[in-house]
Amino acid sequence: MAFFDIKGLVTPFTALKQFGKAPHTVTFPYHKKETAQRYRGLHFNDLEVCIGCGNCSTICMNEAIDMVNLEQIEGKAGDSGLRPRVDNGRCCWCALCVEVCPTGSLNLTKDYIYVTPDADSFLWTPGVSNPEGKDNISFHSDVDTSLSMFDRVPMPELDGKERVKSFAETMLYYTEEAAREEASRCISCSLCTEVCPDHMHIPEYINAIAKGEDDDAIRIIYDNNPLGEMCGKVCTRRCEDVCALQVRGDAVAIRWLKEYAVGRAETAEMLKEIVNPDIQEPNGKKVGIVGAGPSGLTTAYYLALKGFDVTIYEANEYAGGMVMYGIPKYRLPMDSLNKQIDYMKSIGVKIKFNTKVGKDITFDEIYKEHDAVFVGIGFQKPYSIGIKGEDAQGAFPAVNLLFDVNSGKTPDMGNKVVVIGGGNVAIDGARVSRRLGAEVVIMYRRRVQDMPADWEEIEGAEHEGVEIMPQTIPVEIITDDNNKVKAIKYLKAEMVADDKGGRPRPVPIEGSETIMEVSSVIGAIGQEADYSFLPEEYRNSIEINRGRMVVNEQMQTANPKIFAGGDAVNRTADAISAIADGYRAVKAIEKFLMN
Amino acid sequence: MTENSLDKEQQIVNHLVGTFQNLTGKVKRNRRIEVSIEKKQITSVLNYVKDHLGFIHFSHMSCVDWLEDGYFELVYILWSPEQKIQLLVKALVDRENASVENADMIWRQLNTYQREIREMFGVNFIGMKGDKEFILEDWDNMPPMRRDFNTVDYIQEVYFERPGREDAQNVRETISKRTGEEIPEVATKYSRD
Amino acid sequence: MREKATTLYLGPQHPGITGNMMIKLKVEGDTVVKAQTHVGYLHRGFEKLMERRNWLQSFTIVCRICVPEPDPNELNYSRAVEEIEGREVPERAEWIRTLMMELSRLASYLLWFGGQNGSAGLYTMPQWSVGDRDYILDLFEELTGGRVYHMYIWPGGVRRDLPNGFTDRVLQTMDYLEKRLKQYDQLMFENTIFQRRAQGIGWIDPAKAVEWGVVGPPLRAAGFKSDVRIDDPYLIYDQLDFEVPTQQGSDVWARALVRRTEFQQSINMVRQIIDKMPGGPVYNKIPNPMKWTIPAGDAYVKAESARGEFGYYVVSDGSNKPRRVHVKGPAYVHGVTLLENILEGANISDVSFIMNSLGTCPPEIER
Repeated sequence: MAFFDIKGLVTPFTALKQFGKAPHTVTFPYHKKETAQRYRGLHFNDLEVCIGCGNCSTICMNEAIDMVNLEQIEGKAGDSGLRPRVDNGRCCWCALCVEVCPTGSLNLTKDYIYVTPDADSFLWTPGVSNPEGKDNISFHSDVDTSLSMFDRVPMPELDGKERVKSFAETMLYYTEEAAREEASRCISCSLCTEVCPDHMHIPEYINAIAKGEDDDAIRIIYDNNPLGEMCGKVCTRRCEDVCALQVRGDAVAIRWLKEYAVGRAETAEMLKEIVNPDIQEPNGKKVGIVGAGPSGLTTAYYLALKGFDVTIYEANEYAGGMVMYGIPKYRLPMDSLNKQIDYMKSIGVKIKFNTKVGKDITFDEIYKEHDAVFVGIGFQKPYSIGIKGEDAQGAFPAVNLLFDVNSGKTPDMGNKVVVIGGGNVAIDGARVSRRLGAEVVIMYRRRVQDMPADWEEIEGAEHEGVEIMPQTIPVEIITDDNNKVKAIKYLKAEMVADDKGGRPRPVPIEGSETIMEVSSVIGAIGQEADYSFLPEEYRNSIEINRGRMVVNEQMQTANPKIFAGGDAVNRTADAISAIADGYRAVKAIEKFLMN
Repeated sequence: MTENSLDKEQQIVNHLVGTFQNLTGKVKRNRRIEVSIEKKQITSVLNYVKDHLGFIHFSHMSCVDWLEDGYFELVYILWSPEQKIQLLVKALVDRENASVENADMIWRQLNTYQREIREMFGVNFIGMKGDKEFILEDWDNMPPMRRDFNTVDYIQEVYFERPGREDAQNVRETISKRTGEEIPEVATKYSRD
Repeated sequence: MREKATTLYLGPQHPGITGNMMIKLKVEGDTVVKAQTHVGYLHRGFEKLMERRNWLQSFTIVCRICVPEPDPNELNYSRAVEEIEGREVPERAEWIRTLMMELSRLASYLLWFGGQNGSAGLYTMPQWSVGDRDYILDLFEELTGGRVYHMYIWPGGVRRDLPNGFTDRVLQTMDYLEKRLKQYDQLMFENTIFQRRAQGIGWIDPAKAVEWGVVGPPLRAAGFKSDVRIDDPYLIYDQLDFEVPTQQGSDVWARALVRRTEFQQSINMVRQIIDKMPGGPVYNKIPNPMKWTIPAGDAYVKAESARGEFGYYVVSDGSNKPRRVHVKGPAYVHGVTLLENILEGANISDVSFIMNSLGTCPPEIER
């Protein structure tokens, strides 16, 4: 190359051609460039959709997100009442908070300019500080892209056709691997603990399962629930209704995971070894408990741990109350229940079986012999259906059927059974009847979606070939000459909106009267308590209102020595509420006797 | 992948196992070999694989603190441009008074790595030249990359929190307060952190 | 007569590099006798921070290690995690990752065009190339939601699929850049001033290059056909048609020519990728990030960044957080031992120029 390479010196001047061209970056007149569809700008939170689970705050690696109380948001079931507040001085716009938001309420917008001389105002609450952000959402995560794990690990179960052949357990339950996977979906927000009547430590035991520490999971469950495996199989699991994942996907299978954990301890001895409770020295106080149902057992277990001398008086041959006699064995096998009760006995709970209070022993005796009494009698007396022919042979309440079957009898149901009602007891009655070889129809006044029964139970019944006739009102049981059930007469109903704003009412359609030939009619429209064991003087000393004993927050009746809990007290009438009552009563009895 | 395709890798491992006592090695996958040696063998193994086995390119050197087990793991990552194989040479060093022989005469760039590891982990490289300070300045605390150096404690000691965020709530606490739930000790360690 | 030696502190702010780094020069007249790199202005402790962050949270930190080219960090971190965990990545995600890598290489080279000329006092190129780089950043913004820190490649795949019409806009930008490259030639490679500044400067002895740890364009400019994309193929590079350009000069000029060729080549590769990209999912979802644990193990993965072999050594102890993430950037060697060596005998005015030709990037020296 020559020293003066003319071409090489001149070529760069071709750049001068650019002078005549429009600039690349700034337009004139100035036009603000719109950001991309996915731009990760300032946050926006839909306050109505947000449930305050705090997952955004947990994932934020810069600790830029706080959960704070807002004036306009009240906490309620399924909503912590807290909302995220972002410190924009710390945020790095990685948008992981958006990716893990289970509800999809938190998003990023196209706005990115936020200039202020006041550094404190960098702290702001998405949705409150920028309500206009709603129309400006850019980076968001839908069900497909979200990092929340919306799909539940499927629960293996017996095939419907196989199930109706026996009373074998229908659910096959999670294997270790499946349980770990399912447990790892939980985001540990704890919204579930609020609606659990017993306020079990749900996120903690699920996390223990996820980490492979099943023993710790059992210990955490036994902290306030001595019937964990029973709950794991049959709980009404209101916790799952408020699961953060349930907003856009399947709730975590809290119930099945509990079953998995406690199920790891196969015998009462193993259970004792794992829970390894701290049993206190006897303190000399005696507590009598009427009824070995969930509430009575819970009270007895925790009182026994605290050194009380506890005796349960149980009318039947086995403990468990409605859980033993009211729940079919394909849902809760005998072995499982006995294991849990044997463990309780092993730590000092005494149970007197076949001892009906009011018959084999008087309430007065119990009252005088003990320093405090807990009454957990449950609802055993079924309501009558209230139609003609109800007293016919072949027409009986579902609880009686369940009691008989669970006591080992095989009643003859004939070939066609109609079950009246839409609750869990009705479904149980129907599915038991299927197992006894009958064809089964459930008649329910309202629509299927109005049925109070667990949706999994309804599905289970359908898989087993139970026919559900919604919007059907039975009006008469037709009998033959021997007063035996022959047929049932019913009306179809249409749903009419309630003027007072309540749920729609079924109104019979005129002329829709139909008769169906059946061999048995099972009523399952509810039960009530039976106070006949309680002498007049005691009945007067405690208050009974509309069939329920009235108690204060400590489960104490007007008679300070008598405590009560379970179905005969609370409005929800399920096992977990009974356990919660029992657990509360323990604290109250301890306070009452030890102070 | 068939076993045959790993022949080349396995040969090198076998060769090294046969050459050095107490050397263990394995083929991790194709193009990836790993050997573990004693710390006194570091220079001799590195020299050997460089001079005789074609691992002339020095990719990386790292140090991992296994605090719970009480040792540092020094990892030398080498590459053979000829055979296209990556070799990891690992040696354990006691955490207490950790020291190993200097190796920067084998690859001069090792000097930079060793200086950083000396500064960040406190591993002494006997006979190494180079300024004591590399990244840090006037640092008189524990070598900061050691696992027992707690960044949160350090920050709380040295800096102050900007006020204005004290009203932050914990979701778990908010709910347990509302319900009166008492979380036992066995459970708290599984709560959300 | 020998001039008296003085000490000159170059930096930490100077035109040679992106980031802060100081070089202590012992000079006689305007000739460097001894150079010593001094870092410590940029240490942010990313590797330490990751000890306290779970596997997913760490992914958002790594891109911050390198401003001009964050994507190899994301890719390496993700690939290391995937290798330890044994996580499969959908095929389409691999193609999109490759597209990201090549776009990021183009963006990085555009910044280098600017830096190399700027440090020679030729100021038109920086204006042009940094402006043109923004067209690539526009593409990144559209694809990932961020212009500089993309946080897009994560363990298991990529965060989102390509937006509608994205590939057309990529191709348009490629056509534009190709056209511009001719203008760059006129301004830079055909420019006598640049040629005279670059030729014979910053020579690296090819006999020592591999041993000294030289990688990337400087190594290829020394005559070695060395490229991680070929030597240890990752992503889908083995399905693309490309050549590894080499030069024999081993000086700044040779390195510039290598980068010039690779720039054109990356444009061609982007076109190939878009042409051949298969459909399908882009993400193999990870479990709940809070409870996501990786089995114990370790992996060293490397990628060819615009500056050379970029490595990540990641160790898991089986928990939900990394035990160790150790980043190796090419500048760790280029900017310290190599630079100190080749600066000896250089003219002061060439120091920044040489640093740029090595792609020195202090943020990856100290992380």
